[in-house]
This record gives sequence, C-alpha cells and structure tokens, in this order.
Amino acid sequence: MSAPMLPLAAEREGFHAPGIEIFEWPDIVHLEVAGFDLSINRVVVQMFVVGLLVWGLFFLAFRRPKLVPSGLQNVMEAFVDFIRNQIVLEVIGRDGLRFMPYLTTLFVFVLFGNLGGIIPPILFPLNGRMALPAVMAICSLLLFISVGISSQGLAYFKNALFPPGIPWPVYILLTPIEFVSTFIVRPVTLAIRLLANMIAGHLILSVFFVATGYMLTSMNISTLFGLGALIFSVALIAFELFVAGLQAYVFTILSAVYIAGALEPEH
Amino acid sequence: MSQSEPPKEPSGRGADVVWSIIGTLVAGVLAWGAIGWLLDRWLGTRFLVAVGIIVGMAGAFYLIMKRYGSG
Repeated sequence: MSAPMLPLAAEREGFHAPGIEIFEWPDIVHLEVAGFDLSINRVVVQMFVVGLLVWGLFFLAFRRPKLVPSGLQNVMEAFVDFIRNQIVLEVIGRDGLRFMPYLTTLFVFVLFGNLGGIIPPILFPLNGRMALPAVMAICSLLLFISVGISSQGLAYFKNALFPPGIPWPVYILLTPIEFVSTFIVRPVTLAIRLLANMIAGHLILSVFFVATGYMLTSMNISTLFGLGALIFSVALIAFELFVAGLQAYVFTILSAVYIAGALEPEH
Repeated sequence: MSQSEPPKEPSGRGADVVWSIIGTLVAGVLAWGAIGWLLDRWLGTRFLVAVGIIVGMAGAFYLIMKRYGSG
C-alpha cells in the first residue's frame, strides 16, 4: 500500500508549471448590462490605465509645444517622427499623413499594453487577452474599408474582389479567395499575430521565473542550475522588450499597408 | 527626412508581400474549403471539402503567381 503513495507525495511537492490559467483574472466588480458581461477585472483596469497614460502623455507633451522640444515633448515627438518617417511616408506616402493620429495612437497603445508584460508590478501583457487585439483589428478593418470607399467609391470592392488581367471565368475561382483574404483573413491574422505573441511571451516568462524560483529554493544540485536559469530569465525579459516593440510595429505597419492598398487600386 | 519624395514602390512593403502571400494561401484554403464543406452538407457527400481545399490552394497559388510572380 505504501509503494503507490510515493509518487503521489513526490507529485505534491513537484514543480507546477504555470499554464493558460495565468491569463484568467477574477472579477473585481461584477457588472451585467442587458445580458452583456461588463465585469471589471484586473485586465480592464490595466486597459483604462494604459489608455489614460497614452492620452496623458500626449496631452502633456503637446499641450504647449515648443519649436525646440525638450523633456517629454522630445520623447513623444520621437514616437510621432518614427511613425511618420518609418511607417506613413514609407508605406502610404504623403497621402497618408492624415492617418498619422490613428496610426500613432495605435502604435503607442499597443506598445504600452505589451510593455505591461515586463514591467513590475503589472507583469501582464494587455494584448494577451483577445478583446483588445480584436477590437483594434476591427478598427483597422473598418478604417481601410471606409478609406477604400471614400477614395474609389464602390469600385473599391470591384478592384478588391476582381484582380485585373485575368480571364473572366477564373473569377469564379478567385473572387471567394480575394474576399476571404481581404475582409476576413486580414483582420483575423492582425489580431491573432499580436495575441499569440503576447500569450507565448507571457507563458515563457512565467514558466522561466517560476522554474528559476523553484530551482533556487530547492537547496540541492538544482540550485546551481537555478543560477543559470536566472540569467537566462533576465535575458528573456530583454527579448520580450524586443517582441513588444516589434509587434506594435508590425500591427501598425500592416494597418498602414492595408490603408495604402485601399487608397489606390492594385496594379 | 530628406527632401526627396518616397519611392514609388516603398521598401516597407517587403513584410507586406510575405504576409499577404501567407494570407492568400490561408484564404484560398478557407474560402474553397468552406464552399466544399457546405456542398458536402447540402449533397450529403464527404469528399467535396477535400476537393475544395485543393481547389482553393490551386487558386491561391495562381493568384500569388499572377500578382507577385512577374515583378
């Protein structure tokens, strides 16, 4: 009878890797309006804080803009310059400058949301939940559709669904593909790319830090490996910093690319 | 930064080409896979979803070659 007890005892004391449950937060305020669950949990609070932070930073930076910027205005102008030169002028051209406010806000909001994943004591990437990536992807979808309609009229849909230079019977084959790729796959991949990167990064960090703590406190040979794991965990933070910036950049540049595609018919 | 206009085919589109090729492939499989699946349900058959996926892939390849192949 005692033999089967041993593995059980070992299991209890063993290492438990954090799983997808670390993305679930209990409601702080339970709220239901007309059957919709509008409860406030930690992620919602973080979303409000990041939103306010982005708004506040831009407000403070450009409240009294100076010709020779200093301090906060300098920092926020770096963001604006980056979006303007690296994304808008590169991808859309001068025509795209009117989309600067949307793209800049998008970039900074996604970036700050992602950075929450590595900044103590927040340590949760806002975009690790589907809600925000999905809503931002839908915003980009609606934006590029309205840009297409306003710059090309209803010919936008004709240009988007019927690529030129193809014999007409082939349209039966290609038009469903074009429809799905433009109006469904684009927003879905936009959202999932960001979400999956944030989920993966958060899981990797959690597993590494929990494992590092477990090994360091195990007081046997594992403690030595724990030191190595600690160094690697810190390196992973740097990697997540890179991913946070990269994914904000990718989300913004692809939104810009879709807008550019809607501005003029594809050749 | 400089005074020159951005080039007609901006360099920032490299990533876009890659993503849109992947997107087209996925869209081809999804669109015609869904059509095949619906036909299967309608006709009570079971093979049309596979045919749809293959047709969709072929269509996606054709579209990609037409759009990016010559350039």
